[in-house]
Amino acid sequence: MRILLLSLLFASTLALPSARADRLTIGVSQYAASLNHLLEASVAQSYLLGMTTRPLTLYDAEWNLVCGVCKRLPSFENGLAQRRPLAGGGMGVAVTYELKPDLAWDDGTPVTAQDFKLAWEIGGDPAVGALVGEGYRRILEVTVVDDHTITFLNDRVTFNYNASAIIPLPAHLEEAIYRQDPGSYATRTLYDTNPAAPGLAFGPYRIVEARAGSELLLERNPHWSGKQPVFDQVKLVTINNTAALEANLLSGAIDMIAGELGIAVPQALAFERRHGADYRVLFRPSLAYEHIDVNLDRPFVADRRVRQALLYAIDRQAIVDRLFGDKQPVAISNLSPLSANHSDDVPHYPYDPEKAAQLLEEAGWRLDGKQRKNAGGDSLVLTIGTTAGDRTRELVQQVLQSQWRAVGVEVRILNAPARTFFGQEVRERDYGDLALFAWFAAPGSVPRTTLRSSEIPTAENGWAGQNYTGYRNPEVDRLIDELEITIDAEARKVLWADLQRIYMTDLPALPLYWRATAFILPKWLGNVRPTGNLSPTTYWIEDWLRN
Amino acid sequence: MPGSTLALASAEHRKRWRRLLGQPLAVLALVFLGLLALAALLASWAGGDSGQVDLFNALAPSSPQHWLGTDELGRDLLFRLLLGGQVSLAVGLASALGAAVIGTVIGLAAGERGGWIDSLLMRGTDAMIALPLLPILIVLSAIDLTKLGFSAAVAQSENAALIRLVVLVALVGWTTTARLVRAAARETLAQDYVRAARAMGAGPLRILWRHVLPNIVAPLMVATALSVGQVILLESVLSFLGLGLDPGTASWGRMLAGAQDLLWEAPGLALYPGLAIAATVIACNLAGDGLAAAFDPRRSNRRS
Amino acid sequence: MLRYLTQRLLESVAVLFLVSAGTYVLLGLMPGDPIDLMISGNPELTIEDAQRLRAVYGLDQPILDRYFGWLGQALRGEFGYSRHFSQPAVSVLGDAVWVTLSVAAPALLLAFAIAIPLGLLAALRGGWLNRGINLAALISLSLPTFWLAIVLIYLFAVELRWLPAGGMGEGLAGRLEHLILPVSVLSLSIAGVFLRFTRAAAAEILGQDYVRTAKAKGVASVGLMLRHVLPNAALPLITLTGLQLGALFSGTVIVEILFRQLGMGRVLYDAVLGNDFNLALVALLLTTAATLLGNLLADLSHAWLDPRIGLR
Repeated sequence: MRILLLSLLFASTLALPSARADRLTIGVSQYAASLNHLLEASVAQSYLLGMTTRPLTLYDAEWNLVCGVCKRLPSFENGLAQRRPLAGGGMGVAVTYELKPDLAWDDGTPVTAQDFKLAWEIGGDPAVGALVGEGYRRILEVTVVDDHTITFLNDRVTFNYNASAIIPLPAHLEEAIYRQDPGSYATRTLYDTNPAAPGLAFGPYRIVEARAGSELLLERNPHWSGKQPVFDQVKLVTINNTAALEANLLSGAIDMIAGELGIAVPQALAFERRHGADYRVLFRPSLAYEHIDVNLDRPFVADRRVRQALLYAIDRQAIVDRLFGDKQPVAISNLSPLSANHSDDVPHYPYDPEKAAQLLEEAGWRLDGKQRKNAGGDSLVLTIGTTAGDRTRELVQQVLQSQWRAVGVEVRILNAPARTFFGQEVRERDYGDLALFAWFAAPGSVPRTTLRSSEIPTAENGWAGQNYTGYRNPEVDRLIDELEITIDAEARKVLWADLQRIYMTDLPALPLYWRATAFILPKWLGNVRPTGNLSPTTYWIEDWLRN
Repeated sequence: MPGSTLALASAEHRKRWRRLLGQPLAVLALVFLGLLALAALLASWAGGDSGQVDLFNALAPSSPQHWLGTDELGRDLLFRLLLGGQVSLAVGLASALGAAVIGTVIGLAAGERGGWIDSLLMRGTDAMIALPLLPILIVLSAIDLTKLGFSAAVAQSENAALIRLVVLVALVGWTTTARLVRAAARETLAQDYVRAARAMGAGPLRILWRHVLPNIVAPLMVATALSVGQVILLESVLSFLGLGLDPGTASWGRMLAGAQDLLWEAPGLALYPGLAIAATVIACNLAGDGLAAAFDPRRSNRRS
Repeated sequence: MLRYLTQRLLESVAVLFLVSAGTYVLLGLMPGDPIDLMISGNPELTIEDAQRLRAVYGLDQPILDRYFGWLGQALRGEFGYSRHFSQPAVSVLGDAVWVTLSVAAPALLLAFAIAIPLGLLAALRGGWLNRGINLAALISLSLPTFWLAIVLIYLFAVELRWLPAGGMGEGLAGRLEHLILPVSVLSLSIAGVFLRFTRAAAAEILGQDYVRTAKAKGVASVGLMLRHVLPNAALPLITLTGLQLGALFSGTVIVEILFRQLGMGRVLYDAVLGNDFNLALVALLLTTAATLLGNLLADLSHAWLDPRIGLR
């Protein structure tokens, strides 16, 4: 066995992957259950849809809001956005988008404003059960001005009033299916019953072959009027197991591994060390905020000093350096350092076990042997949970456990599959003391659902909201409300700075780092620009180059 | 009468031992398992802080301090391997014993009662054997303990995952034992001396205890030895599927599953737990073969 | 015969029924429901959305009502819709069954082809050959399947590049090429059991008086094997095959995940992890039905081959 492995190890018969000239094969680790964008909100789906569709507006690689299929961004200055008093009181905003000309579905039918209106209508229909976000629901009314102009009336004026992630649906195909019986639309949509049917895509590519759960073959959309992509065909291959994903890449079965849905940073680092000469590995810190939510209703961690001590006791820089090759920045606050509103004027928590010990002493936890006990004789034993099977998080968890043990805090690891962890434990705030996971939000988005006191899930409100820590701070509530409606950039910066300072003082959650995405690309593929935000790289697939 | 039975039994006992010792492979396997168990038990006592995370010493090659090097978090691999042995062997033994107990009870009930109880139990056993084990375990391991009525404290206790695994495997793994025990029980119950005892008014429990149980110890040991190996394999598969134990628990299966991302960076991380699993499973099988040959030379008759 | 067949079939149906009820309730015991998982990734969804979605998918009803509702529909041939694949559950599985068969059937045959000759050889020759073969069999059943699969992928797909690392392949030749590795791994993982069983059965038969007599009369080894040993060893081997079908399906789960075969095992695994009730249930039932049927067939052929065994 050993001889076999060693001989494998030294065998250097590795040839460069020779791709078919006209086809790019991309390996991803998950697949989209539904190809209809109203019925699923997954990274796997948005990666695919990035090639076949485009939303009205999107965030680019510099995290600026730019047009997807609109001609220019609406604003109060250019008159495309206008404040409107609402019938029920309050102030709304009417935002008008002009569509790019020559947009066409891949059967030749032009994309019109009607297609956007249909998507909004189906997305908001309770009978359908669509999985759409606030963006759809805040629209009170849609007016089709003409074939290429559409106006949305939003129910409030917010800082991101001109952003709209709406993606059209082909009215000439889907409207009849929807009208026939909205209740069963989700099981009859052409996107899932016949994904290769012409007329479902208007991006640079169209689906020509779909094997649910496994492979998708795309080819050029003959009616795409934008810049032509380099590859005639793109194949998306789903490989769930990351070891197999890597093996498929090395064997030439796939050309690249998508960063959005690929392998974790430690594995990518190992890959780069071994195969850096043959492949390009791109790392990009993202908006995924890896942190530990603290259940503030639990007695031991309700004390702010204990939370601060826990943060002082972790050597986050060492974790980032040693496990992640310094590819993902330590989280200084709850806003990414790449964000315009990031503030450095916050309490910092460098690795300082002595400070941690001192804080714990102050909080009444005295060292008794190797463990800490309080006056009541309780031992300082906490629990930490995360998504079972996420090997990176499980590694970090064990490091945390060992570093906390060094200051006398005993932490037990209790993990559950993602389904249980998110579906129940975190959602119902039943996760013990600590929960390790990530938030992934759009650039600049206001942390209303995660920090506002009205968003604490309880049995009474049917577990609504995502303030899983149970954090209540009137000042934070006020800042969040202000942030949502303040449009002036400088004023926002001030509000954000206050919010970050309070957050880092109170520590309702322990910030760890900003997760990076790792793209493994062949040397001959150029101009793939990781965004680090929710926009998949495939929104710019027509810019990809073959060197 | 009792005295002579005892003398007979101990003579038979000695013969069995001699037959067992006559098989070098089986002896080797038993010695290996014994030493492994001993080393695993001593490890947590002698290991000191070898299990401590040391990020600055991750993936170190083998050295006098770390004979097999360190893992991706800088922990001594040999020490982790021995700790893993503790867990894997414990899970294997506990599940196999649990399965043996369930199987024995069902087998005895079927063999002793006979009639419709017998056919019901045995049909049930047949059906159970037919069920695809891994798919069912995949479904079972997804169950929420609190919905079964266990308190959150139990469901979140440190060993919950471990106990759950043991219980699950025991619940699905008893079938072979049940069949063996039933056959042996029927055979024994048909013997004249048992009928005589029964005629003299011995109750069914007494008969099972005095006459039947001693006769099924041998096949039971064989079946248990074999299933220890099976369970260790099963644990590794469940860990691979992400349905096994918690990451703090260093079982071989978890180590192996965790090593796949760094397969080429650090082949040892996967190689050693893999070897440990294979060697232990092989040893369990050899030991089982040996016990079978020693206890029941007639049935495990080898080449003449 | 007919009566026996009817009885066995009825029993199988009863088992299936029990498994369906058991699984349905167990799936209800799985933490969280599909909607929780759907909304967990989306910070913009509200509780009203979740309740609305639950009502749409009928998840707001008590579990037993849902089971009987499901059973009624299932008896009418409607097995529900798989959210995970966005297709009716039956059509997902219709494809998956063939994929699994295309892996499992050749693997079973290959396992026989390896196990029977080697098992007979080991029983006949003894000595080092016997021990060597036995050890090989032990190694085969002691290696974790996923481990073997990963090593073979690296050897044959990455280093040597002889075979594809995974996938379904296009056309017949492509399909066959893509089957070589998964079939090899699966058959290696089950061949050990068959081999040891064949060896033991053959050894027992060789020890019987009539065979010794034949041997003493000078019947050649090959003739001895073909005339006496093989037919008699075939009977327990057939029973064993029936019993091993469950293990075969278990093995396919791993192989299908690693080699990207969209078969029953992979579908079931995805369905359970994705909280896809309908699909998980039907997949498990179908797998169970297949193993029960396999058992029945094994028993029937056993009876057919061995007239001494009366069918109760």
